[in-house]
Amino acid sequence: MQPQNGIPIDYYIWLAAALFTIGVLGVLYRRNAIIIFMCIELMLNAVNVLLVAFSTYLNDAAGQVFVFFIMAVAAAEVAVGLAILIMMYRNTKTTDINILNRLKW
Amino acid sequence: MQHYLISLLIFTPLVAACICLFLPKKFEKAFRAVALIVNVQQILWLLPMLVGFRASGMFQFVERSNWITLNLGSWGVLKAEYLVGVDGMSLPLVALSVFVLLIATISSWSIQKNVKGYFVLLLILNAAVIGSFVALDFLLFYLFFEFMLLPMFFLIAIWGGPRREYASIKFLLYTLLGSILILVVMIGLYTSVSDPVASQGGLLVHSFNLLHMMEPMNFISNTILDPNNPWQIGWFNARYWAFLLLFIGFAIKLPMVPLHTWLPDAHVEAPTPVSVILAAILLKIGGYGLLRIAYPIFPEAAMHFGMFVGIMGVLSIIYGALNAMASKDLKRLIAYSSVSHMGFVLLGAASVTEEGIAGAVYQMVSHGIISAMLFLIAGVLYDRTHDRIIDHYSGLSSKMQNFTALVLVGFFASMGLPGFSGFIAEVMVFLGSFRSNATNGVLHESLAVIATSGLILSAAYYLWTLQRMFFGPFHLKANIESDAIVDLTSREYVMLVPLAIAALCFGIFPQPMLDMIDPFAKYLTALVIDHGKAITLNP
Amino acid sequence: MNALFVICGLGIISLIAEIANFRKWLISIIVLGLLGAAALVVADWNTAVAYYHDMLVFDNFSLAFTGLIIGSSLLWFWTASDFFEALFHKTDKSALILFAIAGGVLMTSFNNMAMLFLGIEILSISLYVLAGSRKEDLGSNEAAFKYFLMGSFATGFLLFGITLVYGATGTFQINTIANYVLTHAGELPSFFYAGALLMLIGLAFKISAVPFHFWAPDVYEGSPTAVTGFMSTVVKIAAIASFFKIFATCFSTIAPVWYTILLVIMVLTLVIANITAVYQNSVKRMLAYSSVGHVGYILLAFLADHKESDGTIFFYLAAYAVSSLAAFGALILVGGKEENTLVERFNGLFKRNPIVAVGLTIALLSLAGIPPLPGFFGKYLVFAMAINNGMIPYVIVAIVTSLIGVYYYFRVIIAMYFKDAVAEPLKVSTSKEVLIVVLILITLALGIFPDFLIQLL
Repeated sequence: MQPQNGIPIDYYIWLAAALFTIGVLGVLYRRNAIIIFMCIELMLNAVNVLLVAFSTYLNDAAGQVFVFFIMAVAAAEVAVGLAILIMMYRNTKTTDINILNRLKW
Repeated sequence: MQHYLISLLIFTPLVAACICLFLPKKFEKAFRAVALIVNVQQILWLLPMLVGFRASGMFQFVERSNWITLNLGSWGVLKAEYLVGVDGMSLPLVALSVFVLLIATISSWSIQKNVKGYFVLLLILNAAVIGSFVALDFLLFYLFFEFMLLPMFFLIAIWGGPRREYASIKFLLYTLLGSILILVVMIGLYTSVSDPVASQGGLLVHSFNLLHMMEPMNFISNTILDPNNPWQIGWFNARYWAFLLLFIGFAIKLPMVPLHTWLPDAHVEAPTPVSVILAAILLKIGGYGLLRIAYPIFPEAAMHFGMFVGIMGVLSIIYGALNAMASKDLKRLIAYSSVSHMGFVLLGAASVTEEGIAGAVYQMVSHGIISAMLFLIAGVLYDRTHDRIIDHYSGLSSKMQNFTALVLVGFFASMGLPGFSGFIAEVMVFLGSFRSNATNGVLHESLAVIATSGLILSAAYYLWTLQRMFFGPFHLKANIESDAIVDLTSREYVMLVPLAIAALCFGIFPQPMLDMIDPFAKYLTALVIDHGKAITLNP
Repeated sequence: MNALFVICGLGIISLIAEIANFRKWLISIIVLGLLGAAALVVADWNTAVAYYHDMLVFDNFSLAFTGLIIGSSLLWFWTASDFFEALFHKTDKSALILFAIAGGVLMTSFNNMAMLFLGIEILSISLYVLAGSRKEDLGSNEAAFKYFLMGSFATGFLLFGITLVYGATGTFQINTIANYVLTHAGELPSFFYAGALLMLIGLAFKISAVPFHFWAPDVYEGSPTAVTGFMSTVVKIAAIASFFKIFATCFSTIAPVWYTILLVIMVLTLVIANITAVYQNSVKRMLAYSSVGHVGYILLAFLADHKESDGTIFFYLAAYAVSSLAAFGALILVGGKEENTLVERFNGLFKRNPIVAVGLTIALLSLAGIPPLPGFFGKYLVFAMAINNGMIPYVIVAIVTSLIGVYYYFRVIIAMYFKDAVAEPLKVSTSKEVLIVVLILITLALGIFPDFLIQLL
């Protein structure tokens, strides 16, 4: 793909991949539920960045529309996620997910 | 009516089972009555079949209708039919099943625990047994074959003796393993065989029809079981493997040494009527499957492994007899004698001679009658004393004269004394296995010679048992009430006497049944030898 | 499409039921509505209409799976009626369930990645809440949280994959992508393949294939039993349908790229899920592993021939859904209020309540694949397809794992018939007894006449 404004699309892909990987590693390694939420948001935002970039390079608006879908759905998802977290916090008084070991193999 | 006799035989018990399901639990007599009516009705439907049957190698009373037709796009069409019919092998076995099931129902009169469940399962088992003897479509056969497993499992598991859990699970695991092996071959055959009639104009119809499977022309070229080009897997080609899988699958049911260990446990724990059905009918499905499916579909493999099958048969005869001799429990003794006698079926089949195969079928029927009688005899004793240990009894003949007379008949019949059905069957098997070397070179004569020692062994353990239990001074182990030892009740006569008469009749007048079996034996022998040669000629 | 409108409408009606005060009639309205939706599916049969600029296409594939989802939901409402009676927030729960069903219908009928995404999210977000609907129970909290975490994690992968595929092909329409891939074979950028694999991972999470299954047992065990029943039937059907649609159309031409990976996933799923199931003491958890294991058989059919396997997969899912619903229905009855589903709880069930015991037995036998029950025909068709395609080693693996399956299903059956009862007779309402009989009849009918359903596709 030819760059239109000097920055090749590959750069965006690597940026998004890096952000996405940071998000994935955060989800896998952090133990605080709030930070895990933020890492998931990071994954989704990496996707958004890449979608916007592709959308511009392809001269196709569909990608940016998709970003709105993702943002709206992510907001709904986080709302539910936080509600679940609060429900858990009421029962356990902590946001550390290490206590989530009641259900084992 | 004439055209639907087989369907009536299969579906009457199923309908009756459904009716029983909706009857309230407390009508215990109703369940017994329904089961008895079904059995009597089945006999009434069987009679016109026996009369109308014409001795020939053809299937008769055939019913055929579409059951499953699936268009699977580029995979062709999956076609399974409701195809049933009887020939000279299946009709005697169906008759045996109906007869023994009637006796088993009468014997079930003494069941007290959960009568409703018991008779529903018995009726389902009835349908499945008849169905597997008449099905001519592999899928239909497999369905009935598997469907026997569950009622049997629950009959042993719920109404069995103290170690019923162990025995029923062992039974289930063994038979399930066997049926999985058969299933693998069934899938292989299904992918390899096309229906010559329906497959026209580029349409590929995969058939389950057993008769199509017996014809090497119907195998699609370059499929896994194609006789012209079978795949090589390990030591053998795919067709040899398929035969071995089928053989093991049916041999478990038969049962053949060393796959027999489920049988003594299941018999010892099962209630008497269930033992009767297990020994008299279910074991026969193993032999039936070999002769109906494994031999005609894989004839060249049957010839190739003939010696192996024969040796396994002789091994079963000898090993079963030796085990019977060492058994302390009367029921276990009879179970091992079953293993021994079913070995003759293997030996007869292995010989691929007319006499051998006819003898194998005759042995199945004869053993069905005799083993039913023997298990009833064990049941008679167990009902009275709840003890089956041989050493705990002595001199029973002084208290139970009539019972002893019937025991003598049963034991002598099982020994294969002349005048009883077992004699005819075993002599034919010996003749077949002896002649096999001269006619088709499958078996060595020595096998027949070794097998005869099985007769001597069976005489030994039966006579020894007779002498220990029934003769000599009357004596019981301390904890058995001697008041309990009384002679037969009228219900027991009704069960035992017909079986004794049948064993005698088929021993003295073997001709009617041999006439029925003979065309089948001729047909199968010719088929196996001709096709076997044809297939080995073009590798 | 009309069915989708009806289902969404029912969801909205449920929401206003609390305000308009017709809670009592709600379940009847929903059942009637779902029946109507099923009738609309039948009426739409063989039409294949595209809606909203081809974003949704209701062809026979979508309609069949939609019908299956609606049918399973109807039976589910019957099995889970206590779930709505027992606690408050009845209308919220039914609204969430209905929206989840709507999401499931979207997942079977999408023709645009955006619709796939929306469908998955509508389904998942409703279920996150439902999984946590036993608010005081820590297990339920934990299930909701894990489900949420793994669900959004998987969505991240799926979205990243969608984005990369979009970048390479310039469209979200799956049939356009399929055409593009066909015409531009060999000149696709490498990140297209990365995108396909990321989508594979995302969807593997959704269908809970090993090694992306670890959330499933925890979530299934912790959620209320009724919700677990919903997850293991309706949700699974929708997930498999979307997986099939993506990989059999979009990525069919690049099959060599994902074939080996999926093969490994399939074998792992069969082996690990079935072996782990043996070691479970909770029947619910055992069923969770077994439902993971069934995905392995479906994948085997898919790998044997990904274009022609739709009929087989559809039948397999239908058989699985009916048996699974019966099993979970029995689990709800036996578990009682405290939702205790340890194997010991089933001891002597045959004496406590023979109808439930027989129903559960038939369900488990069907799941184990014993003829003449539909589970057998499902497995039979899968194995036959695989053998036809020369996948004999894999069929042997599948047969061995299904034997292992027989073992763990029989553990429950043995407990029901051999062990002595631990509690007094189990009282069951007439409606539930009728339900069990209906489920048994459906199971037997599917088993003896399987061609009717498979012929649909």
